[in-house]
Amino acid sequence: MFKELDPILHSQLRLAVISILITVKEAEFNYLKEQTNATSGNLSVQLQKLKDANYIEVEKQFKNNYPLTICKITATGIKAFEEYVINLKKYITPN
Amino acid sequence: MEDKQLNPNESIQLIEQMIRSTKNKLADDGVLLIFWGWLVVVSALVNYVGLQFQYENSGLVWAILMPVGGIFSALYGRYQNKQRNVKTALDGYLSYLWAGFGIALVITLVCGFSYGIKPVYFSLMILYGLATFVSGGLLGFKPLIYGGIASFICAVVSIFLSEMDQLLIIIIALLASYIIPGHLLRSKFKSQQNV
Repeated sequence: MFKELDPILHSQLRLAVISILITVKEAEFNYLKEQTNATSGNLSVQLQKLKDANYIEVEKQFKNNYPLTICKITATGIKAFEEYVINLKKYITPN
Repeated sequence: MEDKQLNPNESIQLIEQMIRSTKNKLADDGVLLIFWGWLVVVSALVNYVGLQFQYENSGLVWAILMPVGGIFSALYGRYQNKQRNVKTALDGYLSYLWAGFGIALVITLVCGFSYGIKPVYFSLMILYGLATFVSGGLLGFKPLIYGGIASFICAVVSIFLSEMDQLLIIIIALLASYIIPGHLLRSKFKSQQNV
């Protein structure tokens, strides 16, 4: 039986962001932007969607008087990512 | 990258690619290892030469240069934090390891002399060895692991030496555990930056 893949994660940019955050403690907005080659506008929208789903925490700070956005994955996000990978495997090796 | 839907194979590839590019980033640029290595070597040499000429106060060089090193480390740490836009779990482990090492070192230097000079030099080499050995393991960088082991060996050998000759073996320990691995780490870090 195929289980439907989590629609929040099954999108290129959101999945890329979650994959990065799963390996790090925290990442700045600019780091995510560099790694994903996304535009700031699009990245902001997708981060907001991940935040609304409670998959990530977004913290606003200041660094040298410039606003700084720091993102961290939450326990819910880790669980969702793990389930997504388990379901993904079923699609690739269907038994 | 856009907000497009993926097929399962593309998803797997994307996850692998993102995890790989972040995981392989080297967490240490080697600057502090090189800096501390040379600072301690210079202090030990000045102290040694001073003692050769019966200049008893040459030990004061430690009291002057070590705080200078502490201030530089704190400033450099702040600068590095500003440059960095991602923090891995590894960065966290390393900073706790070196902070713990720093505290142990200060306690040894401030309180240890009541046991005499030899136990202090011995403990210093054990501490240097431990910090570089564990760092090497965490970073997956063998020269630091070997340097740590060399420092342990120097500590054991130092038991059989006079206080003055202990200063020379500290220099060897520092060359093996800080300076050589530090330069190697620095060149690896630089080559990675240029990719």
